Amino acid sequence: MALLELDGLTRTFGGLRAVGDLSFSVAQGEILGLIGPNGAGKTTVFNLITGYVQPTAGRIRLDGKSMVGLRPHAVARRGIARTFQIVKPFPGLTVRENVTLAAFLRHPARRDAEAAAMDVLGRLGLAARAGDLASQLTLMDQKRLEVAKALATGPRLLLLDEPMGGLNPSEVDVASGMVESIRRAGVTVVLVEHVMKAIMRISDRVVVVNQGEKIAEGPPAQVVREPAVLAAYFGKRAG
Amino acid sequence: MSRALRPWLAGAAALALVPALGPSSFFLHVAILILMWTLLGAAWNVLGGFAGQVSFGHASLFGIGAYVTIILYLKAGLPPWWGIPLGGLAAAVASLPIGLVCFRLRGPYFSLATLAVAEIVKLVALNWEAVTNGPVGFLITGLPPLRLLGATVDWESKVPFYAVAAVLALAGLAATAWLARSRLGAYLVAIRENEDAAEAVGIDTVRAKVTTLALSAFLAGLGGGFYAFYFRYVDPDAVLNISLSMEMVFIAMVGGLGTVGGPLIGAVFLTTVGETVRERFQVGHLIFYGLFMMLAIRYMPEGIWGRLRKLVASLQSRVPGHGAA
Repeated sequence: MALLELDGLTRTFGGLRAVGDLSFSVAQGEILGLIGPNGAGKTTVFNLITGYVQPTAGRIRLDGKSMVGLRPHAVARRGIARTFQIVKPFPGLTVRENVTLAAFLRHPARRDAEAAAMDVLGRLGLAARAGDLASQLTLMDQKRLEVAKALATGPRLLLLDEPMGGLNPSEVDVASGMVESIRRAGVTVVLVEHVMKAIMRISDRVVVVNQGEKIAEGPPAQVVREPAVLAAYFGKRAG
Repeated sequence: MSRALRPWLAGAAALALVPALGPSSFFLHVAILILMWTLLGAAWNVLGGFAGQVSFGHASLFGIGAYVTIILYLKAGLPPWWGIPLGGLAAAVASLPIGLVCFRLRGPYFSLATLAVAEIVKLVALNWEAVTNGPVGFLITGLPPLRLLGATVDWESKVPFYAVAAVLALAGLAATAWLARSRLGAYLVAIRENEDAAEAVGIDTVRAKVTTLALSAFLAGLGGGFYAFYFRYVDPDAVLNISLSMEMVFIAMVGGLGTVGGPLIGAVFLTTVGETVRERFQVGHLIFYGLFMMLAIRYMPEGIWGRLRKLVASLQSRVPGHGAA
């Protein structure tokens, strides 16, 4: 059985259909790339899965259990963590405090939570920054912190919203390696990303959405050659 | 453990010494006001300072405490030592529906909603005459006889009120210190820093805020109950006035938002400044009060306590053997 199943997921904002009848599933241990042009509804899909926005229609199931109607904190407790495209650190707190707050979800005792936080920071190469204020980090490190906070909640499924946006090519390579190591640690990953080099390299499978609807699905190398995908990104060939 | 308790014991001892110095009744009156405002500043600070939820309506919680305490005394003969805690409890219970309504809103909208709720509570008190006596309010003419440690308590003296106020203020600060070290306190700071991110890492933000509002309301209600017995007079203008809400905000801000000792420092400064200029300049004394507020916020945005803490930290870092350069 799939870890995450979306079935007929729909969300309208007034007359605008941000997501329409979207269905796909994510297998345990997979890295799934969710791609599409700007405004295709990718972030809305994340907001629907994590309870920030409620669906107009459709089903969301984690391990067969419905997730519709849960508030974001309850979704996190069930094992789905997310990052935000525009990073949302706790700016006035240190990196360690940021991640400890997330670790409280699985470790109620402060000492255990702090140990778990340091463990995650070590894995993501942020241990040296543990005492710095989150607001003082570089963009790359803020993106790392965003992932560290999500991982510290002990998720089974991690939703990454453009973790590589704004990074330079060598940073993209580092970030790609980080996502692969997260998967090796047993966490399933869904990745929204515009950096195609990273998508091609690390995703097992790609789902392409345009105007809120799925237009293609399959292995990355095959999907990027499909006419519907090319049309969505570049428009139809004239004449 | 004993190390953490030391400042508390020292503070309690210092407070216990004051009446023994034979102070004037005006001095004791000011001390009582300072302690009452410390409690009220602490009440506002747990919600406004730690959770960043700026309430402009805490007078309603104070007033509910005052009304419940005085009504229980006058109608049911319940003495202060039961009435004041029950006043706090009533305010905490009343805060639950208030929180469920107001916490649907964020930021300035939350603040405006609390302001509206406070006005509603005041209108209810003015018009529900069967329970509240309307604009006339209640007056206590005599307090119950009490023997303590073999002596009759003299309610005409200010000393017993001073003792009660000291206990309540210490309780308020102790509750703040507990919160600052607790997991709930950490959650509140996360909510203050970024509410969406707090939810994302699994923090039930509504529950944390409602719980904290209840704690805040309990402390404010205790303050109201104390007020009822000390001033022996409760009416809507006295205990549900918006100026009470503002005073709590000012004390917490001038002292230092989200700090344990801030409300005490804020209450000391603002009550002293307020009472001093009130005596010197009968007309327009609020101008000086306002000026002091502006200077404090302009030059010490982190509050007096926050500024002192920074100063101590920077001094310590210069002393060899204390690490950091």
